[in-house]
Amino acid sequence: MVTTNKQKKIGTLLRLSLHRPVLNVAIAAVALFACRVSAQAQDNNAFHEIETKYIFGTFTVGSSTGIEGEKAFEPETQAAFGKRGGGYAASATTLEFEYTPTQYLQIIGGPIVSYYNIRNVPDLDDRNLATVSGFEAEFRSVLIDRGPSPLAVTLSVEPEFHSRDETSGAKVVNYALDVKLEADAELIKNRLFLGFNLLYEPETTRGDLGMWSKESTFGISSALAFQIVPNVVVGADLWYLRHYEGALFDSFTGDAAYLGPTFYWKIAPKMLMSATWQAQIAGHEQGINAAFDLTDFSRYRARLLLEFEF
Amino acid sequence: MKKVALLVLLGAAALLPIKYGVAQERAALAITVKDHRFEPAELRAPANRPISISVKNADSAPIEFESVSLRVEKVIGPGASGTVNVRPLAPGRYEFFDDFHQQTRGTLVVQ
Repeated sequence: MVTTNKQKKIGTLLRLSLHRPVLNVAIAAVALFACRVSAQAQDNNAFHEIETKYIFGTFTVGSSTGIEGEKAFEPETQAAFGKRGGGYAASATTLEFEYTPTQYLQIIGGPIVSYYNIRNVPDLDDRNLATVSGFEAEFRSVLIDRGPSPLAVTLSVEPEFHSRDETSGAKVVNYALDVKLEADAELIKNRLFLGFNLLYEPETTRGDLGMWSKESTFGISSALAFQIVPNVVVGADLWYLRHYEGALFDSFTGDAAYLGPTFYWKIAPKMLMSATWQAQIAGHEQGINAAFDLTDFSRYRARLLLEFEF
Repeated sequence: MKKVALLVLLGAAALLPIKYGVAQERAALAITVKDHRFEPAELRAPANRPISISVKNADSAPIEFESVSLRVEKVIGPGASGTVNVRPLAPGRYEFFDDFHQQTRGTLVVQ
């Protein structure tokens, strides 16, 4: 019996599919998702209003301040990977409780649990440690309400205390204040959103020698988010960050630009997730002739947030 | 340290002048949920006036009256009534729905 090349290829595919049930399930899931996207993307009535706070992946935050009386538990993990040499991974998980007492104000607060895995990184001690490392609170207030104008702006003020250095994991006493303007605009009703953030973060740190040192970070971001099917939003987030010694931009030390995809999924009426992974695509460190600023910033960063409303 | 403390105070002060409307008579609206439908499905209210919406649940299951753009939510038991207060609004269309039965939807038209 003569076997043609085509028959051989079909046989190979059949063997692969029989031996790879996981692959089959994945292909079926992607096909089903694609069908759903194609069917629902045609039906604009299926898309309803959406809270914009987390649709940009949570590095860039949208303007929504929640619904009056709403309470939620939100574990949010921020991770950083990659320094100049060695192995570097650090994460900080904030176990946030969120409450919206009025239609204009949202209050958030919770402890921070950090994890450090540092090996052979220049200028950093090796460390493999998980510990409670601080506390943060956040107050968000509506400045410009979305109304006839598609633009909305919220002011966020976030005091933080850290007992561990966020980068090295060394014992410190650190006070920081994140001040952010969080703006977004609805470009296509209930479908396409543009987000902007402006960040100023001064902080003061007492290290193991007992001396206080001040630093500050300035940042600006732009993000695009598209509701591809009802309750699922995908997009991209671009950040530019500048780091300084001194609380008021006294001495420039380096800058970095991050870019990465974002994903938001309202899993159930009272539950959602938001995630992003970003790579430093450009950067410069004062006094060092190398690509990227890997002293003040990491090579990659990521965030994952889950929200459970109750 | 003093600079940081000053910044904390400035940040806190910035949150204080939150725009609450001056005392104004609320526009009173009423709506009923029956057979998982809002009756009427469309409410109308004047612009730039606080609004009070009385919601009656005529169904045998609890509902949660909710709106993202109105920024309100309220759980109302079977056969019970509740009131939600809404800030003064600019002209436009504002969606509301029952969070326990997502297909139950209505609109507030502000003119």
